[in-house]
Amino acid sequence: MSSSVDIVLEAKGLAKSFLFEGRSFQVLEDIDLSISAGQSMSIRGDSGCGKTTLLNLLARLETGDRGEIRWGNHKMSASSKCASAEALIRASFLGVVYQAYYLIPELNVLENVLIGARLSGSFGKESTTRARELLNRMGVGQKERQVPSKLSGGERQRVAIARALINNPKLILADEPTGNLDERTGAEVMDLLLKSCDEENAALILVTHNPIFAQATNRSLFLKKGTLQNQ
Amino acid sequence: MKLPWPLYLAWKQLFPSQKKVSFFSLLAIVGVALGVNVMIVVIIFMQGFQNKFRNDIIDAQGHGRVIQWKPSSNWQKQQKKIEEYSSIDSVMPYLQGQLLLQKGDYHSIPFSMGIKPDRESLVLDIDSFLTGGAMKMDAHDAEDITPVPTIDTLEDDVIFVSSQVAKRLGVRPPSVIRFYDVNNSRSSVSSTISVSRLDPFVESGEWEVEFKSEQKYRVRDISTGDEIECLLSDGPIDRGIGFPIFKPVIGNEIFRKGDLFKFHVFKGSTVEAFSPSMIEKIKADEMIPPREVRVGGIFEVPWQGFHTEALFSTIRFMQDMRGDEGRIDGFYLRAIKSVASNERELAKSCQALEEFLGDGWGVVPWFVENAWFFDLLKFEEYLMILIMVPIGLVAAFAIAIALMTSVLRKIREIGLLIAMGGGRFSVGAVFCLQGFIIGIMGAVLGCGFALIFMYYRDELMSFIVKNIAGEDGQAGVSQFYDFYSLEIYYPWESVGSFHTFLSFAFFAVLVSTLAGLLPAWRATRLKPADALRGE
Repeated sequence: MSSSVDIVLEAKGLAKSFLFEGRSFQVLEDIDLSISAGQSMSIRGDSGCGKTTLLNLLARLETGDRGEIRWGNHKMSASSKCASAEALIRASFLGVVYQAYYLIPELNVLENVLIGARLSGSFGKESTTRARELLNRMGVGQKERQVPSKLSGGERQRVAIARALINNPKLILADEPTGNLDERTGAEVMDLLLKSCDEENAALILVTHNPIFAQATNRSLFLKKGTLQNQ
Repeated sequence: MKLPWPLYLAWKQLFPSQKKVSFFSLLAIVGVALGVNVMIVVIIFMQGFQNKFRNDIIDAQGHGRVIQWKPSSNWQKQQKKIEEYSSIDSVMPYLQGQLLLQKGDYHSIPFSMGIKPDRESLVLDIDSFLTGGAMKMDAHDAEDITPVPTIDTLEDDVIFVSSQVAKRLGVRPPSVIRFYDVNNSRSSVSSTISVSRLDPFVESGEWEVEFKSEQKYRVRDISTGDEIECLLSDGPIDRGIGFPIFKPVIGNEIFRKGDLFKFHVFKGSTVEAFSPSMIEKIKADEMIPPREVRVGGIFEVPWQGFHTEALFSTIRFMQDMRGDEGRIDGFYLRAIKSVASNERELAKSCQALEEFLGDGWGVVPWFVENAWFFDLLKFEEYLMILIMVPIGLVAAFAIAIALMTSVLRKIREIGLLIAMGGGRFSVGAVFCLQGFIIGIMGAVLGCGFALIFMYYRDELMSFIVKNIAGEDGQAGVSQFYDFYSLEIYYPWESVGSFHTFLSFAFFAVLVSTLAGLLPAWRATRLKPADALRGE
């Protein structure tokens, strides 16, 4: 077990339900979770079981019914709305990678990576150097002036990973990052993601359907009926 | 460059990397620019019309008028008093009334103004309204070279009439036609003889100018046989009142021996003038012959509010006609520059002068006397603004709709920005700033368009009018609207013009920014998790 000192993220008693046509559906129930720096964790589960909702709760993009979340030393109630101060912390604490990349089409590759630095207020010469370094590491350094529409799916996801890492985040939340990629490219991207998190000493929570990718993480969990189970 | 990220992203969304400008940005900016351009151009031209009328009124009526409530023949003393008043530059007495003019079977009853020609140029500028008594000619070897008369040729038996009076009576001032004797003359048309003055007392006749050598020429009055030998170095030959002044004009080629120019001079029309006092005398069985006067010049009506049928004469002539010897109705004033340029100062000065002159005198500044006319122009200007503001609002709605569509299209990006740590208000600001940038660029471009339109107004109007009204319509349009000669001011030349540019540029920026507020508000209301799901 990790010591409480280097715990990056801790969630206790997380619960979330949705109202649909007057009925309440419990999606998450008493979720307890913690991850330390440099560790990786995968969460699998059936479609619609609440994996993305759990990631959103952990990123404080959604409010839960109850529970507590701690980002490093910053403790928050999961049921409270995200304060604007938390948004600033999120910018440097968290990196996010999504299945659909969500690159900004008007910006070129380098600018897309640097937008993370701009959001956290750390944009400058150093961040530009780091962005170039990350792009080189991801194998898309030659394409820094290209716009996303000119890139392949795999290249776009590499750029998205570089963007997630630009602020040296403590935690990376990846929601099915290989979902849109073919098997070989997906494997390459996943390899890069795991390797990069390891090098950066960032914790990784990976939501995936792929058991092989899940096995590659330090800890593999399964979300079923609103609760997390070890595999 | 380290811009705040909402501004950076707003700029990039309008002007994406690897593209110079997005289609939406281009349309939005050009739309705003055209709106700003139209609004500025219309108002600047309205102001141009106002300035033109203002100057024309001042040229025809001075900066103010001193009215004598009780007739007095001791006005010279008052004139001196007014002239010595600190804010007054110059003064001209006047006497006005109504006369009946008759030429054959035709009549006209013009508003008549008696002035002092020697004082006129100090207070008014009637010369600027005078036109030549041109006759329509269609011959390659003859042309009307009648010089435009000047008000200093106004004498007691001479009148200057408005073009409407001239047309009604069929009268004209003295005129002169120059013939080239193509059989005798070998001179290039570039060197010629013109007539620089044709006073109202010149009689009809024929004249000839023949060159004896390159420098020497002879002027001959064919009807009397009088001759005068002249040298080019003598300049124009002035033989006094009643004679045309011939003036050699040397062009690219010199005169040659044998060059011959013939002139046909027509004396000015005469008309008979009657006054109400004469009619009163006729009623009392007195035999009063009408006063015969010569037409010395024709003037265009100075401004639209002026009497269309009008005449200028000497004050003495008007005194005779009215039977008010030694009397005047009042004075026209020209104020000193510092007072004249500020209407408030002029009003204050007129009021102070009125108090200074005491009972029996009133002083009215030009803008009070013609307030109705300027109220009308102002009303027209405000009406234009009222019509144009909705055009600006339509542009704003278009921008709002386009930005709103952008918000809907970028819903996942908005979710991502919040997920990456962007504050809601900062994300909203991205869209608001896009409206602001469109407004700024549209305003700058619109001001640029307006300056270009102002600079090339004659060419543009000529092109438009030629294509709508045809070649013949051009003269009518320019005469009716006075567009081609319209004096307009660039923003660096006049405070009013600067304010107009600034106001409409500010309006465009404000409206465009407000147009961005609705999409911005929509963006801030998005729940990031829902946005990322694309809901």
